[in-house]
Amino acid sequence: MSVNIEIAFKLNGIDMRAKVSPGMSTLEMLRDELHLTGSKYGCGEGECGACTINVDGLSINSCLMFAADCDGREIVTIEGLASDPRTEALKKSFVAYGAVQCGFCTPGIIMQARNLLEKTAHPTPEQIRRGIEGNLCRCTGYKKIIEAIIEASAASP
Amino acid sequence: MDAQLASTGRPLAPPGEDITVVQTYEVPRSLAEAVALLRAGNVTVVAGGTDLMPQSKTGRARFQPVLMNIQRIPELRGIGETDGCVRFGALTTVTELLNNVMVKTRFNALWQAADHFASDQLRNAATIGGNICNASPAGDTLVPLLVFNARVVLASEANGAVTTRTLPLAAFFVGPGRTQRRPTELLTAVNVPVPPEGFVSEFHKFGTRPALDVATIAIGLGAVRDGDRLRDVRVAFGAVAPTPIRAPKTEAALDGKVLSTAIEPALAAADADIQPISDIRASAWYRRELVHNVLRRMLDHVGKH
Amino acid sequence: MGTMEKTAAGSSLIGKRIPKMDAPEKAGGKTRYIHDIDLPGQLHAKILRSSEVHAKILSIDTSAARALPGVHAVITAADVPWQRPIGVAKDHLPLKADRVRSPRDEIAAVAAESEEIASAALKLIKVAYEPLPVVVTAEESLKPGATLVHGEDLIVPGPNGEPHVVHKASRDNVAMTFNYDQGDIAEGEAASDVVVEDVFWLHYVTHCCMGVSGVIAEFDASENLLLYSNTQVPFLHKREFAELLGMDPGRIRIIQPPIGGGFGSKLDIYPFEPIAIYLAKITRRPIKLIFTREEEFIASPTRQPVLLKMRSGCSKDGKLTFRDVETVHDNGAYTSWGATTPFVMMQTISSLYRVPNCNYRTRAIYTNNPYAGSFRGYGNLQATFAVEAHMDKLAEAIGMDPLEFRLLNAQAPGEVTPQGMHFKSCGFRDCLRTAASRSDYQAKFRAARAKWEDGNPIKRGVGMASMLHVGGGAKIYPSDGCGTIIKIDDFAHVTLITGSSEIGQGSETVLAQLACEELALPMSAVSVVNSDTDIKPWDVGVHASRTTFIAGNSVVGAARKAKAKILGAAAAKFDRPAETLDLRESCVVDKASGKKLIEIDKLIRSLHFSDKADLVMTTFYYEPPSEKQDKEFRGDVSAAYAWATQVVEVEVDTETGIVKLLKVTGAHDVGRVINRLGIEGQIEGGVVMGQGYALTENLIVENGVIRNPNFRDYKLVTAPEIPDMDVSFIETMDGEGPQGAKGVGEAPAICIAAAVANAIYNGTGVRITALPFTPENVYRALHSNSQPPTWIASA
Repeated sequence: MSVNIEIAFKLNGIDMRAKVSPGMSTLEMLRDELHLTGSKYGCGEGECGACTINVDGLSINSCLMFAADCDGREIVTIEGLASDPRTEALKKSFVAYGAVQCGFCTPGIIMQARNLLEKTAHPTPEQIRRGIEGNLCRCTGYKKIIEAIIEASAASP
Repeated sequence: MDAQLASTGRPLAPPGEDITVVQTYEVPRSLAEAVALLRAGNVTVVAGGTDLMPQSKTGRARFQPVLMNIQRIPELRGIGETDGCVRFGALTTVTELLNNVMVKTRFNALWQAADHFASDQLRNAATIGGNICNASPAGDTLVPLLVFNARVVLASEANGAVTTRTLPLAAFFVGPGRTQRRPTELLTAVNVPVPPEGFVSEFHKFGTRPALDVATIAIGLGAVRDGDRLRDVRVAFGAVAPTPIRAPKTEAALDGKVLSTAIEPALAAADADIQPISDIRASAWYRRELVHNVLRRMLDHVGKH
Repeated sequence: MGTMEKTAAGSSLIGKRIPKMDAPEKAGGKTRYIHDIDLPGQLHAKILRSSEVHAKILSIDTSAARALPGVHAVITAADVPWQRPIGVAKDHLPLKADRVRSPRDEIAAVAAESEEIASAALKLIKVAYEPLPVVVTAEESLKPGATLVHGEDLIVPGPNGEPHVVHKASRDNVAMTFNYDQGDIAEGEAASDVVVEDVFWLHYVTHCCMGVSGVIAEFDASENLLLYSNTQVPFLHKREFAELLGMDPGRIRIIQPPIGGGFGSKLDIYPFEPIAIYLAKITRRPIKLIFTREEEFIASPTRQPVLLKMRSGCSKDGKLTFRDVETVHDNGAYTSWGATTPFVMMQTISSLYRVPNCNYRTRAIYTNNPYAGSFRGYGNLQATFAVEAHMDKLAEAIGMDPLEFRLLNAQAPGEVTPQGMHFKSCGFRDCLRTAASRSDYQAKFRAARAKWEDGNPIKRGVGMASMLHVGGGAKIYPSDGCGTIIKIDDFAHVTLITGSSEIGQGSETVLAQLACEELALPMSAVSVVNSDTDIKPWDVGVHASRTTFIAGNSVVGAARKAKAKILGAAAAKFDRPAETLDLRESCVVDKASGKKLIEIDKLIRSLHFSDKADLVMTTFYYEPPSEKQDKEFRGDVSAAYAWATQVVEVEVDTETGIVKLLKVTGAHDVGRVINRLGIEGQIEGGVVMGQGYALTENLIVENGVIRNPNFRDYKLVTAPEIPDMDVSFIETMDGEGPQGAKGVGEAPAICIAAAVANAIYNGTGVRITALPFTPENVYRALHSNSQPPTWIASA
């Protein structure tokens, strides 16, 4: 018998209410209940970063976060960044620099890169590599991703 | 194969103990509220979820009827110093350790462990309390905390009020994933005495990546340099015993001795201090070789500076 | 097809950096992969897999599972007596009837209202097994009296219920054998001044596509089947599913959603797809089945592991004389494409560098281990590992510089190999020279050897390896062609319908570039349609690095027809010969002067609304001028071949065994660069995949069980670990390739491990012949605490 937990939180700037089961992860809530499929299931164990979202200003693997813990928090997903200038700069540079192949890891990496640039506006290549060490990509070999993040950071003030 | 094993050979939780047994979900807003809930001893505690969630999904976690989220308890937060002792609230995240200048300058080995912990996403969610209670033999922050003689504070309810007891961290670990924490208790803080003047420390986690690795071995080293000798030596190892351990024989071989001639005896003593096993990450033989070679490097490095 | 002359700089798209057409949508998280697609009324399916490695199935009790609220169907083999076997050898029933042969084996499947309910239902299914002896080594598999993995005929009911044998029993656990000969080995050996011999072990790795496997199956009201599938070979699978289901292939439609990585993992039918189709048929609802990551590790095919014994020789003046190779391929419990990697391996063994005498033999043997499929490189990584180890060893034995030795034996344009491969364009020597000079290979090679005894525990070394792979398709099927349909509307918008598939490698963008190059229209004028078998024409599929070459030539053919139509209409309109006209910058122009006559869209409208009304719609099917191999494996199987040389620089910490890949310098004969951004991305990604194969990835299989089915313990390369990469392109302008281009998708992954092995030797003096070069494996080899791989008794 599963209990249902009522939560209230902000999602991409909008006040939301939801009912979640105790075992549900935030990723499952976003994808299955709220139909926001930009955050991806890559491993469910916090090892690949495909599910990266922003919670109260911090980068978090949504697959590891219990959905019930969203209560009272501010959640931002890739869908919520459509007008965010920093994210726009990243998307533009990812496209221009060939940092997207199959694209499955891309939303998670852009979320993580945005968080990185919020903390460090002009990171060194080494800081970028460390910054995305929790995001796996199987297609690109990371080189163009790093170049794209450098470009986006140069484009921002 | 045992019927209880999944095809991967991993044990399944017996039916009735997975997350579907949870009947109530509690979010206490104070420590007093939390210990009152814990009195019945039927509570699963969740903080960042970085260990509990994957264990839940793979059937390795055993749940109690009450699931208690402790992240809204203010008494569990904060880093502060009183009377020569630094208190880290149990909810201190690894990122908070990493961003703390005092940690970097005074507890350098702990800062290095934070820097080599998993990934940014995990550092933001993983808590020092969770790392300790998960009690992995390879737990990253545990090795430096042993070096710094950390003590854990456990709270429970007695006579209607919050009561606490304190244990040295070295005594807190009982076995892999097992601690002295009673089901009625909550770990609220880690108290770490400020190290003596001139104390230097270093942490080394072996792996091919800067982070995102479960340690094959981990070594923490701390001491006060006194000319050509080391004093107040603390050595701790991770992933080479059922729990993270201090290394008394290694420490004895180094403490007060001229470092250059103490290194070889210390390495032999380290081999006696550890009981590594062979698992999918490494063989026992290789772990011994690594402890030997990495510890020697660390001691050489300390000697040169 | 004929090479295009390079058109005037500035107007040509060829060789430029063109962003991928679907990148903006992917960057915004808007792309809907199969995991993101939900059909109304769909049910979720989950598969119960074996908890035994090898056992008889005594009974399966699904009653409790069926009774669970929300469960629509629970099926076992008994519920689908009409199921047919899959795989190249047809030894594999999707739902296992009386026996399980590996932990991935599918015993039952559930369709339910939600994933949660389906998972709960799985736990209620009770299976009784009688364990059988487990066979996991070549010795166990081949010894007399061994437990047989497929010891009985596989029988299914025929059309009239009569028993029909679809796979004959294997009485000796040998699933497949290969034997290839060129020249005379004994003569070759007699002519050798030096002979070297080694046993190599090439280990289990797996694809780890970031998007896990999944399928959606739905039958419509007329019993037509709609499949959302990540297949890389939609038309082949359409036909195979039709056979499996006893259906008319015309009533099967496959839609290919954007894929979260392929790398060859989607070239075969695996049980989960037929199982989803069975559930769709039985429940009459759409069925969505998505793997967990753990399931992806356990149930996806691996790269083919190979135990390889090689003898090779050369004369003292540096000419290769012979190669004699025998392999054991662990076929696992069922046969998939891994068993056919010898087709590719023998090409490398016989033709990577000039070798007059060669013998190659493989036995693929049944065991209870995971089974192997196709994986970027398709056996070439394994074969190149052995060949390039011996190139260094032979050079050292005769005291020759390793680069000079390779140059001496590298083929030149125009050569035809004993196997019949015709190297029309061949940049092999340029690849060798370019990679060597840009990496300072020779000087670093000598310097590293001088430091072997210097007492420093940190050693640096350089290693070189080259590769040969098909670059113009591979005619392993009756046709290796691709069809294209082009329509250009009244506004000069091009709809390019191609049979080829986009698997993230950027083929859409390259094809659009080729069309725009012919039609003088901008990239923004093109839409590519490529994901529906009801709409697009036939293509054999995405494999063998063939898409740019073959789909590209197909597009060029259709585009040239469209151009001819447009110029013909303009010729009629302006009353002048079509040969005096050309297309430039979206206009019809006078060819000689460049003077604009009319915009293309206006011209098309005038044709459409004229008294000879017509639209611009053209088609072209391109079949490459290659041949199927004969029974002796001889034939010019590809229309072009590609080469690459990579030089790697490593740092070895001899006190821990950690090998860091510092730099990779690669020179690739790609014929011609079409999309510079795309091709660099393919190479960089392939290099890092090769790095993983060499250094970090290891699927640990013990007694048939995968011990590390997760990313925590199966290590993909992460961003901080990548090497510096220097990539050069050798443009040999292949006469048949579109704009001179050849295929490149697999090339960059192929020789990294081989080069790393040579670099470790160059730095430390220790040759390691088993992968992976994880720290413990390297440490053991350096400190004499490991055994080199041992050969088994040959038949």
